[in-house]
Amino acid sequence: MSQGQIELTDIHWLMDILQNIDVGLVVLDTNYNIHLWNAFMDSHSGISPQVAKDKNLFDLFPEVPEDWFRKKAEPVFQLKTRTFTIWEQRPFLFKFSNSRPITGRTEFMYQNTSIIPLESPDKQVNHICLIIYDVTDTAVGRIDVTQAQETLSEIQSHDALTGLLNRTSWLTVLDDIHAEQIKGAAPSSLLIIDLDHFRLINREIGHDKGDEILKRLGAALKTLGGETHGARLGGELFGLILKGKNAEQAVLTAERLRRSLSTLNTSTQNNNGSTMISASIGVATWHASITSASEWLSCADKALYHAKESGKDRTTLYQHKN
Amino acid sequence: MSAHPAILSEDQRDCYQELTNVAMGQAADRLARLLNAYIVLPIPKISVIESSELNMALRDAGNDSSVSAVCQGFIGSGIAGEAMLMFNDTSFASLATLMQHTGPLNKHAELELLMDTASILIGACIHGIGDQLEIHFNQGHPVVLGQHCDMNELLKRGNNGWDRTLAIEIHYTIEHVNIECELLLLFTEESVKTLNKKIDFLLD
Repeated sequence: MSQGQIELTDIHWLMDILQNIDVGLVVLDTNYNIHLWNAFMDSHSGISPQVAKDKNLFDLFPEVPEDWFRKKAEPVFQLKTRTFTIWEQRPFLFKFSNSRPITGRTEFMYQNTSIIPLESPDKQVNHICLIIYDVTDTAVGRIDVTQAQETLSEIQSHDALTGLLNRTSWLTVLDDIHAEQIKGAAPSSLLIIDLDHFRLINREIGHDKGDEILKRLGAALKTLGGETHGARLGGELFGLILKGKNAEQAVLTAERLRRSLSTLNTSTQNNNGSTMISASIGVATWHASITSASEWLSCADKALYHAKESGKDRTTLYQHKN
Repeated sequence: MSAHPAILSEDQRDCYQELTNVAMGQAADRLARLLNAYIVLPIPKISVIESSELNMALRDAGNDSSVSAVCQGFIGSGIAGEAMLMFNDTSFASLATLMQHTGPLNKHAELELLMDTASILIGACIHGIGDQLEIHFNQGHPVVLGQHCDMNELLKRGNNGWDRTLAIEIHYTIEHVNIECELLLLFTEESVKTLNKKIDFLLD
């Protein structure tokens, strides 16, 4: 066998490998015209190498963002360096379908790409090679993990029944807002809301309906407008931070909340119509004498205690000693 | 189990320093051409670190503020390692201006900037070192370690299958603008032996 024949066989093998390798290979010149288009590209795009040859990449695939792609490819020509794009930047360069059309969970193929310089014998880079990897499974796995982490932290920081913040995460918010107050932010107010006779109500109308009331109050706290942070602190006790609201505005909000509770009465009446839903609310607006978030909280607690002691179904504003 | 990698001799350390100087000079030149800005050339720090010290090395780099980072593996001729590029999150606004980024500077835009810079810096540095040692390094795909994270968060995901290894730290800054980034090249424990041999050959 002569030397020439061996080399020819080698080239045949190489061509076979290029055709069968499970990554996309595209060779482009400085005008972004296509010079090589392997079987992977052929199969996934439905465009044969004969059709693709000498066509401009951006004409053939209008979905390839020209500006963006040029930014990644120009340094390869100019600096003779490799560049990379990953699916986190852009899920795909070519919109191909998922290679597992039945069990794959996304419609399209996620792609990573490498762009490598191809040096000609005179050391000039007049061509670049684009390598396209199918990374759908990796991407889907990563997205799943991220979503799972988000769900977990949501579960960890929120109350399951009402969807409001739970006590722990709400106290963190309170800490932050207290810190802002110290730095001189417009005064914010804190409300502690306790449903009156709730144990009794639960017994009379049933726990299901009791839960329904808690959910409605939760929903009411979420739709107050402005920057507010509502939380279920436990049982029938709720907390609400009204950012940038002074004492007067806070008391108005408290009264509005109490009124909205009374509309629940018709829907939750028991047979003899005696169940009345009401709440006691303690309000404490931030004051320069407050030195910690827990001190602020205890002011609101004291106001709530006063509202309860003086007959429930009312709002009490904590009076700071000047 | 491999023997402990030799602590670098004074000569070897100088040689690594020289290799890195050349490579990062090339990298800085490319970055300068990309950004059209003057890159301040730092003195690379060559050290042998314990895996437990990696945390510390990175924390110094992160300067206690939040960072974004990508890493990229490289391998060739029995030498393997990983390059990490970390950006102080406060650098992105200036970087966006230099790279003539238009549009909002959100997390996605920052990722683009991070990737573009990483492609240039890491590629040039690895190849600069490879060229001098006559090694062709294959680069893996870059992976985002995290955006806007705490250093501790970045490293939580790393495994520690090594004890001590060679680390090259390069701290890039750009003149007159608030851009700071740290390029860290870490070689595997096994690679250090091979690398040292190559270095000794150069020294002879």
